[in-house]
Amino acid sequence: MLYRLTGIKRYYNERCALSIDHLVIEEGKIYGLVGPNGSGKTTLLRILAFLDEPDAGNIYYNGSLVSPQLVPSLRREVTMLLQNTRLLTRRVKDNVAFGLKMRHMDLNTIKHRVKEALEMVGLPVKDFANRQWYELSGGEAQRVALAARLALRPKVLLLDEPTANVDTVSETLINEAVVRAKEEWKTTIIMVSHDLLWLYNSADETISLWGGRVASHGPENVILGPWEKVGDGLYCKKLKDGQKIYVSGIPSSSNAVTVSPGDISLLSNAINDDGGSSCNLLRGLVTQMVYSNDGLLRVSIALGELNLVSLVDKDYIKSLDIYPGMEVYASFKPSAAQWL
Amino acid sequence: MDYIFDGIREAFVLLFSGNEEVYSAVYATLKASSLAILIALLIGFPLGFFLGYSDFPGKRFIRSVADTLLALPTVLVGLWVYAFISSRGPLGNLNLLFTIKGVIVGEVVLALPIIIALSAQAVEELDLSVRDTLLTLGATGKRLVLDMLWEARYGILMAAVTAYGRIISEVGSASMLGGNIKWRTRTITTAMAFETNKGQFAMGIALGLILLLIAFLVNGTLAFAKRRRQSR
Repeated sequence: MLYRLTGIKRYYNERCALSIDHLVIEEGKIYGLVGPNGSGKTTLLRILAFLDEPDAGNIYYNGSLVSPQLVPSLRREVTMLLQNTRLLTRRVKDNVAFGLKMRHMDLNTIKHRVKEALEMVGLPVKDFANRQWYELSGGEAQRVALAARLALRPKVLLLDEPTANVDTVSETLINEAVVRAKEEWKTTIIMVSHDLLWLYNSADETISLWGGRVASHGPENVILGPWEKVGDGLYCKKLKDGQKIYVSGIPSSSNAVTVSPGDISLLSNAINDDGGSSCNLLRGLVTQMVYSNDGLLRVSIALGELNLVSLVDKDYIKSLDIYPGMEVYASFKPSAAQWL
Repeated sequence: MDYIFDGIREAFVLLFSGNEEVYSAVYATLKASSLAILIALLIGFPLGFFLGYSDFPGKRFIRSVADTLLALPTVLVGLWVYAFISSRGPLGNLNLLFTIKGVIVGEVVLALPIIIALSAQAVEELDLSVRDTLLTLGATGKRLVLDMLWEARYGILMAAVTAYGRIISEVGSASMLGGNIKWRTRTITTAMAFETNKGQFAMGIALGLILLLIAFLVNGTLAFAKRRRQSR
C-alpha cells in the first residue's frame, strides 16, 4: 500500500474539517474523491500532498511514518494540481521545466520531458513552448499547469477539480492525460472532479466523503434530512413531489443517511407497493447509465430534488429494457440506510 | 496670457540650449531620488517581505501603521528629519542639513512606508497560491523564497515606482532639508517654487516639462507593472 492514514483529524477554527479513522490508498490506481462542498475533499488532498499537516493522527507513506523531516523529499514524489492553480509568471516551457530544475535534471532530459508533457496535454511545443503565461486561454493555462506536474512523472498525482473551469476540449485532453499517466508510469491518481460520469468510468475506486468523514469506499447515495419519526424505529423524509423515503436505525447528528447503490434495485412497474414501511418504492426518471469497471451498470435516477444511483447487473437491465428518460421505480429496504 | 506663451517658448530655449542651472537641478533631483529609492528598497523591501510572508503577534498593527504612513505629509517629514539632523539634533554632528544627503534622508523616510506597505501587500497576495504551487513542484528552502520574490516582482516594481513618483515630486522636505541652495541642493521642485516666486516662469516651465516627462516614464512603468501583475 502507498498511503495509510490512521486517526487523522484536521481542524479549521476549532471546526473539524476532516476526521478519518482509517484509509488506505493502493499504488497505481485511480481514486475518485466524491462528496458535497465542505466534505473535506480538498483538505484530504492537501494532507496527502504533504502541503498541510493533520492536527492529529499518522500518515504512513510506503510503509514509513511521515515526519516533518521526510516531507521535503516526499514532495519530490507527490505533486498536486490545486483547485485555484496558477501558472508561474514565466514562459510555458519554463513553467513545465520548473519542477524538473528543482530536481536538478540535466538539460536534455528537461527538454525531452517538457516536450513529452506538453504533447500529452495537446499543446504542440512549437506553438506553445515560448508563449508567456498571459498569452494562454483558461483551458490552455490549466493544461500547462497539468503538464508541469506530468513532466515530473510523479509517483502520486493529486488533482483538485482539474476540469472545473475549462472548455470541453481541454476537459477531454486533461482526462486523457491523467489516464495515460497511470498507464505509462503507474502513477497513483487521486482526483476530485465534478465530472462524476468520467470519474465513475475511469476510477478504480471512489471514496465518498461526508462531513469530513469517509462515508464509504465506492459511490454512495447520501440522503439529507429533515427526518420525521413515524414509529417502529422508522424515520421518514418527504420529497417535494410527495413521495416518502423511510429509513430505520438511530439518527446521528449529521442528520444524513447513505444507501449503497448495490442495495437499490430497479423495477419497471410499481409492484409490491406496500406503502413504503417495509420497502421504499420511489418513482423517478433515468438520467444516466454508465458501465462501471466491475462490469455492472451504474444507473442514475432523478427523484425530484434527489438523485440516487443504483448499481445493477447489465443482463438485468436488458430484461427491464431501461433507457435514459424512462420512468422507473427505485426500491430499497429502510434497513439498507446507514446513518452517518 | 502672453507671459505664459513667452514662458513656454523660453522654456524650450533653456532646455535645448543646455542651460546649466536647469540641468544642475535635474541632476540634483535624479541623484537624490535615485539614491533615496535604492536605500529605501534595501531597507524597506526585506521588512515588507517579512511583514507579508510571516505571521507574528502585532503584525496587523504594524501593517496599519505602515498603511497610515503612506499619506505622511512631506512637510512633517521635513520637520522631523530637520529636528534630528540640525546642529541641535541627535544627528547634528553628521552635518547633513542643507546637503543633498539631508534631502536623501528625508526622501528615504517618505519612501519607506510605501515600499514596506506595498511590498508586504505584493507578497501577501502571492502567499497562498504561489507558495503552494511552488511547493507542489518541489521548491524548498532558499529556492522557495527566491522564487516567491521573483513571482512578486511586478508588485515590488509597483512599490518602487510608486515611491519614486512620490519622492521626485515632493517639495516640502527637499526645501526644508536641502535649503534650495543653487548648484548644490536645488531640485526640480524646489527650483520651480523658487523661480515662480521670482516671476521667472520660463525656468519654472522648463523644469516642469522635465518633471512631466519623468512623471510619464514613472506612470508608464507603473501601468506596465500593473498589467503584468493583473495578468497573473
